[in-house]
Amino acid sequence: MEFWKDSQEAVTAIKKMWEEIGNDAELRAAAGKVNQLIVFDYTESGPGCAVWVDCRNGGFTVGAGIPEGNPDLTMSLSADDAHRSWSDKLNPVMAITRKKIRVKGSATGLLKLVPKLKKVAVIYRQVLTDLGMADKIMK
Amino acid sequence: MKYPNVKFEPLFSWVNRPRIMYAPGLRSELGFEMEQLGGKKAAIFTDKGLVAAGVAGMVADAVKNSGLELAGIFDSIIQDARIDIINQGAAFYRQSGADCMVAVGGGSVMDTAKAINIMIGGGNDDFQPLADQAGLWEGAKPLPPHIAFPTTAGTGCEVTSAMVVMDSKAHAKLQVTHPYCNADLAMLDPELTAKLPAKITAFTGMDALTHAIEGMTSTGAEPISDALGLHAIRLIFKYLPVAVKSPEDIDARGHMLIASTLAGMCFGNTMTGGVHATAHALGALYGIPHGLANSIMLPIVMDFNVPEAADRYMMIADAMGLDVTGKKPAEAAKMAVKAVVALKKKIGLTETLKDFKVPKDQEKLMPLVELAGADGQVSYNPRYLEEADILKLYLKAI
Repeated sequence: MEFWKDSQEAVTAIKKMWEEIGNDAELRAAAGKVNQLIVFDYTESGPGCAVWVDCRNGGFTVGAGIPEGNPDLTMSLSADDAHRSWSDKLNPVMAITRKKIRVKGSATGLLKLVPKLKKVAVIYRQVLTDLGMADKIMK
Repeated sequence: MKYPNVKFEPLFSWVNRPRIMYAPGLRSELGFEMEQLGGKKAAIFTDKGLVAAGVAGMVADAVKNSGLELAGIFDSIIQDARIDIINQGAAFYRQSGADCMVAVGGGSVMDTAKAINIMIGGGNDDFQPLADQAGLWEGAKPLPPHIAFPTTAGTGCEVTSAMVVMDSKAHAKLQVTHPYCNADLAMLDPELTAKLPAKITAFTGMDALTHAIEGMTSTGAEPISDALGLHAIRLIFKYLPVAVKSPEDIDARGHMLIASTLAGMCFGNTMTGGVHATAHALGALYGIPHGLANSIMLPIVMDFNVPEAADRYMMIADAMGLDVTGKKPAEAAKMAVKAVVALKKKIGLTETLKDFKVPKDQEKLMPLVELAGADGQVSYNPRYLEEADILKLYLKAI
């Protein structure tokens, strides 16, 4: 991997980012509208390398690995491309057209959040800094 | 004008799958070309307006005069590629025993045809789950033979690997992409556009202009698309007023068809921006035809974008035929905005959102703002658009 020393490091950072998104009123409300169990599957970068977000029925829980039950949406990509995407350096729509992101399920709700990626990237950079991973911040 | 130091996406990929042919009367080559693609029994997809105008018949005659068999004509397509009609169209294709399709129409027809072909290729009965997935690239395979005759100039749909479909239940337009959904062959026959009324000629031409301008100012802009977009702008500024004033002028119609396809190739690779995001929402909630919605929003969004895209707007101004020698980029950019306003006036497009009963009340505008803010094209706008910005853009357009 280009950015991560191992898959656990990627999971730690991205899971923490989603927890912080849950603390942001605007982003949490936007995620609530998606109303799905979403899996970000990075297992091509290592076993167990996945993060899930459950924003169904007004809830907002985040976890590592593959959740129980059937996800409404699975976005499969490498942990490196996840880093690029959350850093707002890889447009998800373009990435889908290059098969860098593989979609299974209903993606229209999540793609509605693409315009919020700039705000997410600010949170992500702060999370990386807080976790002592500021060297990973993409300029 | 000296070429300015414009930035572009450092990593980009550029693709354009379909072959393109151009000639007045080109439809006479349809049979030969479809046979080359392996098609024997063609279903024509069109709309009732084109049937009534005799345009669909011109293509049907070309089928009858060739070695192809005509499976039938599906003319139930209406404004916006509606999922229920897409499903009906796929059933028609199967029931008629067709093995290939010919799309004859504007954006709604061509997008409907694209979606139908995806269903035929994949053996699906309902397009809704596919539309919900948005990106249909994983495991995508080539589709049955498909030739498109655009009858407007236009959407550029004949070359783009995306379609916009209307989810009538959700009152939202969904953007769906598939690597093989565009036509195998785009046949540009300007004789098929000669009966297009002046008003529709005007706003579909503005749609093409919007594609070119947004395509080369989007965050995905790159040099290959720049070349296509700039030449499309040159052609549109020269030939759109002629095509509006003299509908039977095949030379002007032909240049507009070519411009529309160029613009489609441009934005199909770089995406669009704020004009399209706001126009999609206007189409979904107020039923404003896409080209008309784009024409209303284009100068307003351009003006908003000047601080972030002045160099690119200067190139656009130059392509419009304006003398930008010695002008600062921002100054040239403002000239481009004014030129768009002047072009609209020249071709009789004077509508504002007020004409479509879009309310000025900010509270009532919020569904529109939220829909535009969640549109996939927003993130490609050169200047970051907050919901507050989108609200201001709409208020300016009323």
